[in-house]
Amino acid sequence: MNNKQHTPPAWADQFLAWFCDEGLLEEIQGDLHEAYYDRLTSHSKAKADQLFVLDVFRFCKPYAFEKYSTLKQYLPMFQNYLKIGLRNILHRKGFTAINLIGLSVGISAVMLILLYWNSENTYDTYFPDHDRIHRLMNNYREQTYTCMRFTDYYQTSREDQLRLTNRLKAYEEVQAVCHFVPSVSAIGGRDKYFIQIGEQEVLGENFLYLNSGMDFQEVFPLTFLKGSPEQAFTSFQTISITDRLAKRWFGESWKDQNLINQDVTIQDEVFRLAGIVEALPGNVHFDFDIIIHQQEIPSWAAYTYFKLADGYTAEQVIDRIAQEVDNIFPGYTEDVLSKGIISIPLTKIHFSSGNLYEIKVPANKAYLDTFAVVGLIILLIIWTNYTNLSVSMYAERQRELGMRKVVGALARDISMQILIEAILLALCCLPICYLLIYLSIPYYNEMMGIQLGQEIISSGPYLGLLVLLLAISGLISGIYPSITYGRKSLPSLLWAKTTINRHFRLVSFRNFLLTTQFVMMVGLLSVTWFIYQQMGYVAKQDLGYEVEGVVYFEINGAEKYKQLSTYLRQIPEVQETGANGVPGSEMFNQLTYKMEGTDRVFSDGTFMVLDYGSLKTLNIKCETCTSLDEGKRKLFIINRTAAHKLASVLEVEPEQLIGKQLITEPEWENEEHGMGVPHRIDGIIDDYKYFSLKYPHQPLLINVAAEAGWAYQMMVRLQTDDWQKTLEKVKEKYEKVETVIPFDPLFLEERIRNLYTNERRSGSLMGIMSALAILLSFMGLVGIVSHMAFNRQKEISIRKVLGASIQHILLTLNREFILLMLIATIISLPVALFFASKWLESFAFKIALSPTVVFLVGIVALGLVVSLVSFLARETVNKDPAEVLRA
Amino acid sequence: MKGLGYLEETILLLILSMRGDVYGYVISKAYEEHMGKKISISAIHSAMSRLEKKGLIKSHMGGATAERGGRRKRIFQVTELGRSTIEEIRASRQKLWGLIPDLE
Repeated sequence: MNNKQHTPPAWADQFLAWFCDEGLLEEIQGDLHEAYYDRLTSHSKAKADQLFVLDVFRFCKPYAFEKYSTLKQYLPMFQNYLKIGLRNILHRKGFTAINLIGLSVGISAVMLILLYWNSENTYDTYFPDHDRIHRLMNNYREQTYTCMRFTDYYQTSREDQLRLTNRLKAYEEVQAVCHFVPSVSAIGGRDKYFIQIGEQEVLGENFLYLNSGMDFQEVFPLTFLKGSPEQAFTSFQTISITDRLAKRWFGESWKDQNLINQDVTIQDEVFRLAGIVEALPGNVHFDFDIIIHQQEIPSWAAYTYFKLADGYTAEQVIDRIAQEVDNIFPGYTEDVLSKGIISIPLTKIHFSSGNLYEIKVPANKAYLDTFAVVGLIILLIIWTNYTNLSVSMYAERQRELGMRKVVGALARDISMQILIEAILLALCCLPICYLLIYLSIPYYNEMMGIQLGQEIISSGPYLGLLVLLLAISGLISGIYPSITYGRKSLPSLLWAKTTINRHFRLVSFRNFLLTTQFVMMVGLLSVTWFIYQQMGYVAKQDLGYEVEGVVYFEINGAEKYKQLSTYLRQIPEVQETGANGVPGSEMFNQLTYKMEGTDRVFSDGTFMVLDYGSLKTLNIKCETCTSLDEGKRKLFIINRTAAHKLASVLEVEPEQLIGKQLITEPEWENEEHGMGVPHRIDGIIDDYKYFSLKYPHQPLLINVAAEAGWAYQMMVRLQTDDWQKTLEKVKEKYEKVETVIPFDPLFLEERIRNLYTNERRSGSLMGIMSALAILLSFMGLVGIVSHMAFNRQKEISIRKVLGASIQHILLTLNREFILLMLIATIISLPVALFFASKWLESFAFKIALSPTVVFLVGIVALGLVVSLVSFLARETVNKDPAEVLRA
Repeated sequence: MKGLGYLEETILLLILSMRGDVYGYVISKAYEEHMGKKISISAIHSAMSRLEKKGLIKSHMGGATAERGGRRKRIFQVTELGRSTIEEIRASRQKLWGLIPDLE
């Protein structure tokens, strides 16, 4: 007993206590302890410990498990459930397969929608403290600018560029402040340059211009994989690139290469490669591949962000700016056009709308909500469907359940069995779902314009959610049969024939589910129809100019434009060239205008400067413009929308405006003209759709020059069958004139189509989802109808014997579905119209919603249902009545 | 009468042969001593629980002892049925032994 200080391994002791029956624990533990202390006298402690553990494990057998004797009784029962469940699955292979495929496809679709929804709703949450970051915006005229202008626009010195951010830094409300300009933004010049790194020359685009990198790093911390923020941002003339670009430029082995501090030459300027950073995820409101850190940002404005210090609000910062705004922007308060500086939380940017020069096209919250609703609809269809199928399956298994009752199963046991079976069956879909989602993510990304990684579905939360969704689907499908059949009396289970479908009952659980499904199917299909109708309308809409055959590209200045024009006219395929005024533009800054001698000032004017070639290239009819061919140098024309507005002020006919003076920016005091700039109206042209059809016609004020005075865009109308060859020819000429900016022609058709990317995406998603809804509903129908036909074969045979025709019998079988479908169509009519009109709200030019479409969809769906029912019932209907009735 | 396994028979005999408190651990020690083989405590325990179920032995909880950390022992006694059963086995064996002619 001198070894009393030693005790047996505590964990083994606890393990024993855990599994051992309480009634046996004391004696067993006592014996083992006694043996242990005994052994300590003859063995080493380690050996005694080892033997003790061995002893404990030797007790790990049913003898000591008395505690779980209750479970022991159930175990064979579970085995039985599993076995019977499996037999049922195998017995109805086709039925089960339809069931599982339907469930898998549906749940996968729901998961994909969820992934998209989540990616959109977590926009810009990539950055730490994203809830404290805000962006400054400026209200100017009637518009909100998302960027803050520099005091002297392009000619602003570094110091003045930093004036606003430096002021803000001094505030105790602000923890950090920064600004930047992405080259892909409207104020970024959409630059593309050839870049020289060592021996290789690569095309560089997607720049991010910074002139205060450390500030940027404070607000939007980037992860440096090579180099450091200090290396990149404490000196100028440095560039940092993303890992994505590094892979493209230097190959997969970029990590092992010695890249930092290499010289990089852009447009004869030498930069130092100072860092490689992790690329931003897709759901951030700006993006870049190359950061250029230099003294001055090459733009007239910058996107400006501040991060609040703890305990302050954005309003406090805005108030403070308002107090001293004249120090930052001299003359701000006196300028009647400046209407105040405001801010927007970082996470709201993605869903903002109507702001000028937004970096990425913001999402339409309404579309996202629609997608969420569609996801829910699909989920409901899956559930109703799956429930329907399981109800009809258990109807066939009533005898089995009855037998269980005979041998002593309680209502509770039956219910449990049904539930467990349903959940297990649903969980069988997990691998299929996983695979489906994994494989479709790349296509989905392309379709929706997002960047989800395939691995996302393996991540804990999403995988958990998938399992949960499947389990819930199983549970829901099991609840109804579980309750009904658990409660049913023994005789009704054993002797009652499957009652389902024997009598026509309009109000039954099953019919309710079927109708719901039909409503959703018709609704989705109708909305999709409307969306495609609108997209067709948009595509066929007479824009007022000719889109086909026009390409456009950037051009740097009027000199180069003129030179290139002469060169291009040597190419026979070139019909016309023009400077500026490429239609299909996003809205840009508007200005104020009025008729001379009136007080009514309009502030929605879109002012354009283009040359006559531009109108000719687009085939826009302009009668007055012919005078330009006859030696006139310049014309000022307005469109009909502007003319109507102005004529109504003067109370004259629009045509009478010709020859009168219009004044733009009448509030602007200048030496040359006094107040504003006068223009003599030379003519009126018909409205053409310069902007997207989402907006109504805007008043256009157009300066048309016989010869372009300045140029930043060039349009070329080509007549050719071999686009590639013709464009090669154009490129050849272009490179004679321009050596710095790479040739990057775009088709006008493409540009106009891109205006409706969001809308088209919602259309294709809706299309796929309604196809899915139909597929799922019909899969459900297949199960129900084949079951119904089988159950009614005697009835059908008797009808046949009594002389009923095949058509009549099919009508009898279909009667119920026809009625349900009619009801469903009527219910879905207002629903579909409501959602479609919601979707159409964003368009100024739109189709009229016609209820006929919904009825037509209803009829088509009905036709499909009837043919499906008839097809499935054909076998039963054609059976020899003698055979059926004798059996 | 229920059948008796080899281990059960041995344990029954061991209990009868022992003086003082008879419980799991001492039986395992006695088994090792007399039979010259090792046996695990769990084997003894399960065999004894079988014997008890068959009504050949009975048990009660004894007093606590220090070396068991204050845990009580289950003390076993052979019942009348157990005694007569082992007697019967012995008699039948004896009879069989008598039938073997040339053992001497």
